[in-house]
Amino acid sequence: MKQKQGMNKRRPFGATLTTLMMIFFYLPIIFMVVFSFNSSKSLTHFTGFSLRWYEQMFASHDMMNSLYVTIIIAVLATLISTIVGTLTAIGLRYSKKLVRAYVTQINDLPMMNPEIVTAIGLMLLFITFHIERGFTTLLLAHIAFCIPYVMLSVMPKLRQLDPNLADAAMDLGATPFQTLTKVIVPEIMPGIVSGAIIAFTMSFDDFIISYFATGKGVKNLSIMVYTMAKRVNPSINAISTLLVALITVILLAVNIVPVIRKKIAEKHQNDPTYSPAPRKHTARNTLIFALVGAAAACLIFFRPSTGTQPFAGQVLHLYLPGEYISDEMLSNFEQQTGAEVVVDNFDSNEQMYIKVANGESFDVLIPSDYMIQRLIEEDLLLKLDPAKVDEAMVQIDDKVLDMAYDPGNQYSVPYFWGTVGIVYDKNKVSQEDLEKDGWAIFADPKYKGDIYLYDSERDQFMSALKSLGYSMNTSDPEELKQAYEWLENIVKTMEPEIVTDEIIDNMANARKALGMIYSGDATYVMQENDQMGYYLPEEGTNIWTDAMCIPKSAQNPELAYEFINYAASYEAQMINSLYVGYTAANKEVEDELAASEFEGLDSYIPRSGNALDEVFEYNPDSRKAIAEYWSRVKVVASNSR
Amino acid sequence: MKTWRRLAIPYLIWGSCMLLLPMLLIVFYSIVQPGNEVTTFSFTLNSYVRFFTDPNFLMILWRSLSVALKTTALCLLIGYPIAYWISRCSKKTQNLMILLITLPMWINMLVRTYAWIGLLSEGGPISIVLGWFGIHNVEILYTETAVLIGMVYNYLPFMVLQIHASLTKMDPSLVEAASDLGASPFQTFWRVIFPLSVPGVISGITLVFLPAISAFFIPKLLGGGGWFLIGNVIENQFITVGEWNFGSAISVIMALIMMLLMGLVRRADRKGAKEAKA
Repeated sequence: MKQKQGMNKRRPFGATLTTLMMIFFYLPIIFMVVFSFNSSKSLTHFTGFSLRWYEQMFASHDMMNSLYVTIIIAVLATLISTIVGTLTAIGLRYSKKLVRAYVTQINDLPMMNPEIVTAIGLMLLFITFHIERGFTTLLLAHIAFCIPYVMLSVMPKLRQLDPNLADAAMDLGATPFQTLTKVIVPEIMPGIVSGAIIAFTMSFDDFIISYFATGKGVKNLSIMVYTMAKRVNPSINAISTLLVALITVILLAVNIVPVIRKKIAEKHQNDPTYSPAPRKHTARNTLIFALVGAAAACLIFFRPSTGTQPFAGQVLHLYLPGEYISDEMLSNFEQQTGAEVVVDNFDSNEQMYIKVANGESFDVLIPSDYMIQRLIEEDLLLKLDPAKVDEAMVQIDDKVLDMAYDPGNQYSVPYFWGTVGIVYDKNKVSQEDLEKDGWAIFADPKYKGDIYLYDSERDQFMSALKSLGYSMNTSDPEELKQAYEWLENIVKTMEPEIVTDEIIDNMANARKALGMIYSGDATYVMQENDQMGYYLPEEGTNIWTDAMCIPKSAQNPELAYEFINYAASYEAQMINSLYVGYTAANKEVEDELAASEFEGLDSYIPRSGNALDEVFEYNPDSRKAIAEYWSRVKVVASNSR
Repeated sequence: MKTWRRLAIPYLIWGSCMLLLPMLLIVFYSIVQPGNEVTTFSFTLNSYVRFFTDPNFLMILWRSLSVALKTTALCLLIGYPIAYWISRCSKKTQNLMILLITLPMWINMLVRTYAWIGLLSEGGPISIVLGWFGIHNVEILYTETAVLIGMVYNYLPFMVLQIHASLTKMDPSLVEAASDLGASPFQTFWRVIFPLSVPGVISGITLVFLPAISAFFIPKLLGGGGWFLIGNVIENQFITVGEWNFGSAISVIMALIMMLLMGLVRRADRKGAKEAKA
């Protein structure tokens, strides 16, 4: 041993490398913990100590729900897969060779295939057999990939077992059940326990399979982080710190308890009346499970309680774009009705369409105009009962009512509206350039490497078509092809970054000179940074409306009506419009905010009077062409970098 | 004991439905016409033709392979010396080191990757440190470097743990015998220690390469929206484009490539083992 250590002293290289690696491993974790206590939103400057992100975390629906789902799924999946895996392994021990080989082969599938392949397989399975994705499918998927790991760690222990052991027990009069529980299981306990621990960590940490197997807004921690990570959100650091603390406590307990036990045992060595606990492993593992169980129990306890309100205990499934609703507004609604709101977010209308068209059920959707038209044409929306939305409708600005996508608003109640324009850094981009180039400023070599495109096929094609002098609702293949080439040229020569919500914080921090943005996001950016401007090219733009509708698959239409009425009200629209910066559809709120909070911000008041401005219409032919072209543009873009 | 056989029956059904059937479905969807129901369908190889005739997809496939290979190589180059050094420490230090390496793995991967966004962003800690050394204005976030950092960060522990396990399993008397017989430390390493650690290296490579080639959240978070790997293309087909047939075809192609590569690695392993014996 001495010699070995001496040898290591002569290995400064290895020691340095290991130290560097440890720094590399722990740097992000330390960073997370430190910045979870930051008083500002910045991820780069520590401005002072505060607990605001922890408060926000505990107040956030999404975060608490995802933590709850993560733990419940992990506990259930571990329990079920451990029991099933162990029993199957025992059964296989006494089965024919062929059966054993078959099970080994299929168990290898999730382990030898890339995880995304397993995930897609499960998704296709649920879709093909019309099993609605949600909590149950998430749990089934987790059990499916956990069992092979349990069996993998139980099987070797079974092989070590003396085959005569079971016979001996039976000869001595034990029933098969007794033999199983009293003889076999205790013998292979270490294998079962390590299998359970592997299953728990696999389930707790899983992202890819969960992402494809879940639905209806049921999300675990990983999915929550994935969908939220586009905006700077220090609450994610707070929830991570909480996890780090929890895990450290558990691991310390697991590692220290046996040491203390040993110390106590040594102390009592001369005391004949003291007998140490028979199985220290059992104690250790009981501890793990007790801690996990306690954590789960706490979370169940913290769930919203049911009361005497009209919709107490009911659930509203809401599906809307990310960062589009305030938590305050949601909790007000929950307090008034007693219902619980489960929110799911989409990146694009197209993504929403796929889920809804495949039968995933939501109670309220908030898509855009052209998509509402498509949903109506494909008979996926519920016709609203005028008597139930009258109260909401009278408060909405006439300018966004009775539009071509939904004449007479038979299916939808407007929520927010606005334009699509260019957000730019006044220090880098001159007004003259913007006026001279219009949308073509994205192809101006002056700004190479300094622009953002927005990952929305519709809006990017709008800018291309407008720049070329066409209607954005064209279905002429030649015009669409030209628009594709216009965009292809930009991604090939301008090194743009194609982003979604990341643009908001990045432009507020003046990371690039200009980018394509929705008016409401521009409002937020300009409030954060007064060096930013918003420009609408004279060539025309998209005047859009996002509106609330109830899909046919809604399970609770009554609650959906209740939500729509509240979301259109003065109180809710005021909270939401202030929070996200989008133009309220509620006339009173819109006028009030345009004259106060958002005064002078031209992005808040949508332009009127430009004859070239249009509203999107749904056209199946051009939709397909645009979707294919756009996915091609993205592929070309990533190949050009 | 034959009564216990019945214990395996439920799993035969479950496993066939939840593990085997999904794989068959992917293959099925990849060779039928889009828009077909399971009951009425017609076969086509269009999805495969589309993939292999579009240079853009082939470029992305190539890039995914190259990123996965770079990740694996980096993990091996960094991981081996570390595993070797750790295996030479006292038992107590070894246990501590292994604990320190496994500890971060208990924390959610997404969360740890998310932390790198802040670390690597402009004006963040890394750029401040680089600034001390006179390196200014390097953009790391949303580049290949960022993606590689994220990949190595997530997968290096697997490599270190696998190699370490195989190094500690080795009979120390072999090393002593080699040096007693006059081998230089260098010779001892290349002729004795390294060949014996090959199984660990192989399983390390498998554990790194497999997730690295299909990664899609690391490129998405650290590479920005414009940084596509094959995993992102598959995600995109299923989540935003809705073309499952094409997405399934790409998945099948990826699974086949993996099988091929893993087969090659295993053959190399067997060959290496034979040579070591000889």
